[in-house]
Amino acid sequence: MSGPAERFPGFDVLGQAPHWDQVTADLVTARSEPPAEVKFFNDAERACATALLDLLTGQDGDEAFAVPVLEMIDARLAAGETDGWRYEDMPEDGQAWRDTLSYLDADAAGRCGTTFAQAPEADQRALVQAVQDLKSGPWHGLPADHVWSLWTRYACTAFYAHPFAWAEIGFPGPAYPRGYKNAGVGKLEPFEVADERPSEDPVREGA
Amino acid sequence: MRLGDPADQVRDRNESAWLLPNDGSRTNHKLRLDMQRFADTDELDLVIVGCGAGGSVLLQRLARAGWRVAALDAGPFWDPDTDWVSDEAGSHQLYWTDPRVIAGSDPVPMGSNNSGRGVGGSMVHYAGYTPRFHPSDFSTCSVDGVGADWPLSYPDLRPYYQAIEAELPVAGERWPWGDPHGYPHRPHPVGGNGEVFLRGADKIGITAKVGPVAIANGRFGNRPHCIYRGFCLQGCKVNAKASPLITHVPDALAHGAEVRADAMVTQVAVDERTGQAMGVHYVSGGREHFQRARMVAIAGYSIETPRLLLNSASSRFPDGLCNSFDQVGRYLMVQGAPQTAGRFDAEVRMYKAPPPEVSSEEFYETDPAKDYKRGFSIQTVSPLPITWAEHVAAQGHWGSALREYMSDYVHWSCLGALCEFLPLAENRVTLAEEKDRHGLPVARFAYSQCDNDRALAKAAQQVMEDILHAAGADEVITIQRYAHLVGGARMAADERHGVVDRYCRSFAVPNLYITDGSVLPTQGSANPALTIMAVAARAADHLIASAPGGPA
Repeated sequence: MSGPAERFPGFDVLGQAPHWDQVTADLVTARSEPPAEVKFFNDAERACATALLDLLTGQDGDEAFAVPVLEMIDARLAAGETDGWRYEDMPEDGQAWRDTLSYLDADAAGRCGTTFAQAPEADQRALVQAVQDLKSGPWHGLPADHVWSLWTRYACTAFYAHPFAWAEIGFPGPAYPRGYKNAGVGKLEPFEVADERPSEDPVREGA
Repeated sequence: MRLGDPADQVRDRNESAWLLPNDGSRTNHKLRLDMQRFADTDELDLVIVGCGAGGSVLLQRLARAGWRVAALDAGPFWDPDTDWVSDEAGSHQLYWTDPRVIAGSDPVPMGSNNSGRGVGGSMVHYAGYTPRFHPSDFSTCSVDGVGADWPLSYPDLRPYYQAIEAELPVAGERWPWGDPHGYPHRPHPVGGNGEVFLRGADKIGITAKVGPVAIANGRFGNRPHCIYRGFCLQGCKVNAKASPLITHVPDALAHGAEVRADAMVTQVAVDERTGQAMGVHYVSGGREHFQRARMVAIAGYSIETPRLLLNSASSRFPDGLCNSFDQVGRYLMVQGAPQTAGRFDAEVRMYKAPPPEVSSEEFYETDPAKDYKRGFSIQTVSPLPITWAEHVAAQGHWGSALREYMSDYVHWSCLGALCEFLPLAENRVTLAEEKDRHGLPVARFAYSQCDNDRALAKAAQQVMEDILHAAGADEVITIQRYAHLVGGARMAADERHGVVDRYCRSFAVPNLYITDGSVLPTQGSANPALTIMAVAARAADHLIASAPGGPA
């Protein structure tokens, strides 16, 4: 992954699985198994969604450590597992994904003469950034901020459900039945690892 | 002087915590197996729609009084051991995710934010904060010139607050705000996030207190001590955090009530000639049923209760049940809930404690020096990674910038405000064109803020930023959110201003009650669960007093 530099060296989330209740352990460890076949997206949608989701989650396609965001979202959409609401000015989630992926391909055709997936990464970035920059303005007839909400909501929910992502941010994952015994500022459990670069605030004011 | 152990006094009137197993498992399967099961053709004294905060309390109270009662719930009868996980994404099934359409200039997301599913309702995944409303909440129209006056006042609810606080039970410091009061359990120790809040507030002279949370501090009956694992919003696998599934349903079952799970009520049936409710139509196992009852109570919460009333239109009530004065679905409220986080070089690790730890109600009431009415409260919130990613993504970050920012998770502390957004007639539930899997029109919820709402959210954000900076944060970031739902079938003095009276009895149908959050005329800056339970307990007392042993 083209993720951030490692801050929690030696921190092993999945190694804690023996301390988790069985129902949770089965669910979480299954996420690190090879993902299920894609069922919801067709081939063109799949190619476009893969490129989009790699960009949104900062993954560069390194298979060995990848979080299978595309497959996780596909499984949700195939099962109709929505968030329980949609904006009135958006189609239901599955259709909204299909429509917006086709619009991305249309934008790429206009800019590069290719599909979105085949476009150079810099162009992909520019196309995605253009959607975000529209804010609440219309993008192919849809409010761009509602499109952005759909994409990032599904992408973040999938990515940060994965134990690889937890390891990257120092979060130990499930905590039942063990719980925590050392809560408080600056306190660690024996199985937690301290941040090696505590002062590297990515956005420190004035830095 | 208090006589005997306070827990024993609770046990005498609500034995739920002692009916749970004490062997490390969380569900009394025998109690459920031996549960009373009524036939559809039995005429119940009362059938309740929805088994959450309001429905469960009503069920337990009436079962104790000898009424023949059943609560039908659209979702499952949860077993925390096998159904719930210590995981964010895996808890999706706890939320009501049937389709809903959101509209208006400031649409409110549903699902995980505010909508529960199954026995226990939204309290299965609420944080666990259980503050009381303040006395000032009951007369905001006459005193502050905004909102509405309730047809009852704080002293009417006080004994019910006290009763429910003992049954949950609630832990916290002595509470100095509103009607000052103590709590049955001592405050919990705080984690990193609570420490930051207390330290920052102290520095700038804001009073903050530990609590009030419906998490037993110490064993309570057979419920074990909290293990501080931080997954309160994913359903408490420990049985430490209160929800009706463990605080009221067990006692109801032991007193002859039925909980009929996986039963989706589709319509309240009313006799066209007499105008009396006769029972409810429901779908279970793919089949349509009709449960007869002498009285009906709806407790489906602020979206599904109005939707059910509107879907129960008939020739006698062509615009929807109880809707002859166009009140159903209106004055639906959400609290503005800006969430502000601060970054510290020290590791806060806010996930290591229940998200509900510390609150301040210092800004709750109208401050004459400000150009807005009413106020807000501030609480610790402690989002887990997926919810935290939403907060970070709201700053505009994506891709490797998002990842970089997220890798800093252990250094952040997070506070949330609850702002008293005002009840507005246009904020309402209507029926959409779209149909659900039962063929019923889904709810369309339109929501728009007013100027006072925006001013409150801005002021609350400023106070949270001040607290976090005072505690030493070198960076603060905010996401605008909403929290909770109340209103939509409010209580009022008469049928031109609301749907039910001060005892939750509908104006239109004398044997139809509504006992959930939708009856609240205002919302204060308090999390609503305790007040919903207290209002339902008061309605139950009224029903029992008017018809001991069940209606004639």
